[in-house]
Amino acid sequence: MQMPGLYIHIPFCISKCLYCDFYSLAGKDDLIDGYVSAVVRESEKYDGMSFRTLYVGGGTPSLLGARRLARLMESLQSHLGIDRLVEATIEANPESADEDFLKAVRNMGFKRISIGVQSLDDDELKKAGRVHSSAQALKAVDVAFSCGIDNVSADVIIGLPGQTGESLDNTLRKLIGAGLTHISVYCLSIEEGTAFAACPPDDLPGDEFQALMYESVSGILKRSGFIHYEISNFALPGKECLHNLNYWRGGEYIGLGPSAASHMGGRRWKNASDLMAYIDDPAAVGFDEDIVDVETKMAEEAMLRLRLLEEGLDAGQLARRYGFNESKGLEERLNNLAGQKMLMKKGKKYKLAPGSILTSNRVFVDVIN
Amino acid sequence: MNNIRNFCIIAHIDHGKSTLADRILELTGLIRKASMEQMLDSMDLERERGITIKAKSVRIPYKSASGDEFILNLIDTPGHVDFNYEVSRSLMACEGAVLLVDASQGVEAQTIANANLALDAGLKIIPVINKIDLPNAMVDDCSLQLYSMLGLHIEDILHVSAKEGTGVLELLEAIVDRVPPPQGNASDPLKCLIFDSFYDAYRGVIPHLRVFTGMLKAGDKIMVKSTEKVFEVEEVGYFSLGLVQAAGLSAGDVGYTVALIRNAGEIHVGDTVVSAEHPEVPAIPGFRMSQPMVYCGVYPIITSDYAKLGAALEKFKLNDSSVTFEKETSAALGYGYRMGFLGLLHMEIALERLKREYEQDIIATMPSVIYKVATNNGEIQMLDNPSKFPPEGQIDHIEEPMIRARVIVPTGFVGPCMELAEAKRGSLVGIEHPDDKRATLVYDLPLAEMITDFYDRLKSVSRGYASMDYEMNGYRAADLVKVDILVNNGVVDALSYISPKEGASIKGRALIYKLSKVIPRHQFKIPLQAAIGSQVIARADIFPMRKDVIAKCYGGDITRKRKLLEKQKEGKKKMKMVGFVEVPQEAFLSLMKIEE
Repeated sequence: MQMPGLYIHIPFCISKCLYCDFYSLAGKDDLIDGYVSAVVRESEKYDGMSFRTLYVGGGTPSLLGARRLARLMESLQSHLGIDRLVEATIEANPESADEDFLKAVRNMGFKRISIGVQSLDDDELKKAGRVHSSAQALKAVDVAFSCGIDNVSADVIIGLPGQTGESLDNTLRKLIGAGLTHISVYCLSIEEGTAFAACPPDDLPGDEFQALMYESVSGILKRSGFIHYEISNFALPGKECLHNLNYWRGGEYIGLGPSAASHMGGRRWKNASDLMAYIDDPAAVGFDEDIVDVETKMAEEAMLRLRLLEEGLDAGQLARRYGFNESKGLEERLNNLAGQKMLMKKGKKYKLAPGSILTSNRVFVDVIN
Repeated sequence: MNNIRNFCIIAHIDHGKSTLADRILELTGLIRKASMEQMLDSMDLERERGITIKAKSVRIPYKSASGDEFILNLIDTPGHVDFNYEVSRSLMACEGAVLLVDASQGVEAQTIANANLALDAGLKIIPVINKIDLPNAMVDDCSLQLYSMLGLHIEDILHVSAKEGTGVLELLEAIVDRVPPPQGNASDPLKCLIFDSFYDAYRGVIPHLRVFTGMLKAGDKIMVKSTEKVFEVEEVGYFSLGLVQAAGLSAGDVGYTVALIRNAGEIHVGDTVVSAEHPEVPAIPGFRMSQPMVYCGVYPIITSDYAKLGAALEKFKLNDSSVTFEKETSAALGYGYRMGFLGLLHMEIALERLKREYEQDIIATMPSVIYKVATNNGEIQMLDNPSKFPPEGQIDHIEEPMIRARVIVPTGFVGPCMELAEAKRGSLVGIEHPDDKRATLVYDLPLAEMITDFYDRLKSVSRGYASMDYEMNGYRAADLVKVDILVNNGVVDALSYISPKEGASIKGRALIYKLSKVIPRHQFKIPLQAAIGSQVIARADIFPMRKDVIAKCYGGDITRKRKLLEKQKEGKKKMKMVGFVEVPQEAFLSLMKIEE
């Protein structure tokens, strides 16, 4: 088994975006120093463990600033093997990704950055509660490249309030023009507990718009040389995110920080989403554990691997690892889906059919045990 | 025998029958106050719905104010019109009835229906106005209603708050004073009435008996009159909080017997039990087998569960002998059963019990009544399933079962209630005004309208004030047609229904619209059509689902994703595959919930 990935969650933001249901808090900057120390303390649990990839996500990691980020990385090195990473990614938001910060992260070894662009239409950004402008976003992309970060990704949202086909098209063309090497495209979903759920905007594009736009975006990106390698992810050849690929291949990883998820030794767990308790004592913070039987585990990996549109799922390989008897039920379900043309089948290899990408949940419901 | 009093409590639903029973048990020391549960309603479902489904009884030792010791046998009766026959047989086991009226509601349709049954059975009635503690209690109005609508004497009426215990001791005294002791000679040959039964997995069917004459003890051989089956009595006893074994039961007593009766079909409520040595003792008049009035198809969601469902139905029938079932095949749903019920409420309760207590994942089809279909060749068929109807060209005419409904409603709501009854093809038989506040409407209505949404609609147009009771009232010819529903271009026989020809297309459109909302979107377009023969009367399409969630599979929290999918899968398991279309239970009952 290859070395695990390391995820570090930075649960701070300047302000909370109206659609966001991830664990992050706004206006708690005074807690950042204490938080960095707490992450280092949590890492002691994994003393001596070596990692293949690193992903610092959030929240807004760029809110840490260069100095604190440097302190975090240095301190972690005394416990964890993170000196031979094949990929190190950091997320950044345009308003806090200035030249000083980007230079510093490049020097720390981050050669991949994921910028929360979401849209290059200022109206849309404002309505979604983003605190940056489209100009700031494009600037951040330019600066990142000029600092020597060679894999720059942007997040884009389909279905923002007020969004039109034209504005989305425009966002995409500008991003391609700026030389991005990787683009993640998500459809907006209104999640419980968010501002949008409490007070839904009246100019929210519907499912039909999202579906059409998703297909159009996919087409534009593919024509520009991007590979649609995962349901929501597009990359130029060789620029796929290795850290995330590890998730989708059922690989192992450790997550540090509140709400961070881990997968190791067949066990999945997730730290409690409680920043104050975490800072107080990261070792004592509660977690949800999820241990499942082998058939559920195997089906879960199958569900994840089917997200990889090009690579797909090799059921033969799965059977060799999990057991031939245990895989019979899964293969029956996969063949059934292939019969309904929701999966494409070649020997024991399965891929999501193009017509089912947008309705993949429907497929996954039948894949899981 | 002079110190026995056999009585029941009869009331309209929610007038406080179970609370009064609890208070009586409490005041006589049989249960402690702390137990808040209503004692006589022991099935979960009964408590949830606040109604009593299966009659039960309890023996209460009581020392009266005069210092004499009495045995009070409280016989619980079901309080809904579907169980009218069961009520009437429970009443026959008693000499007296406490007629309970909610002081804030007044006399309602079921109050009258139950009171009339009790009077017919020759019972002494003790009228009681309950809930006098409520701020909106109208004690005087209720007294007048009891007088004018039922001819009861105002000076005989007791005022009670079962909730607070007020007046309950006075009621117990009245039961002792006014209800006559049972008659009948213990030395005569045995004669008992079966007024209820329940099924015990180890001891078989345990009938509840009222002994009229003679004695019954372990070792006796008894004969059930209607079937002439003979059983040997293993045990007799009476009901306290559980079953309490006794040396014997004699004339006037109420109790149970264990006689290794394996099959609920061998014992029917209302039947007479006599000694096998005196089979000549005549049966108590009025026995009849309960007749199902409402039928529906019941199918396993997973086709291969068919055998399991059959076994569950066999067991269920041991517990509730008034349901019927037989094998049925549907082109759309596969193998299943046609079940018969006493009424709509009985159907709802039975299906819910099959799901909960018998753990069956089932789909029930739209309920149907029994139609009398006369074909051109002079044949008459009794059909309880619309999909079995002959082609329209072969039908000479159709008759449908009718009910006579008695609706009591405040005068302000008479208009809307009459409009509703007429929209439901009712014909007015008469209007009575028992007092200046309320009217009694008597209507003849098709039973088919009754079993869809008539009662719910009646409640809604009268803001909950109307109450209703009904009895079966023969057959009437009607201009009816069979409407087929096509899903994805195929007829789903289980969705076929019988509709009045007039307004069939309006109803068809409403149903198609409703179906288009309850059948989930699929990967492909699903055309829906309603048709009479080959003529399409309504159509709509369910457009394909274009996308489901493409959110960030975030930070490696795979567990959350999997659990969401598992939840969705659970929902899917509750749907029936009809061809390639997943159809939820709701769709099959859509016709009952159409807003016209």
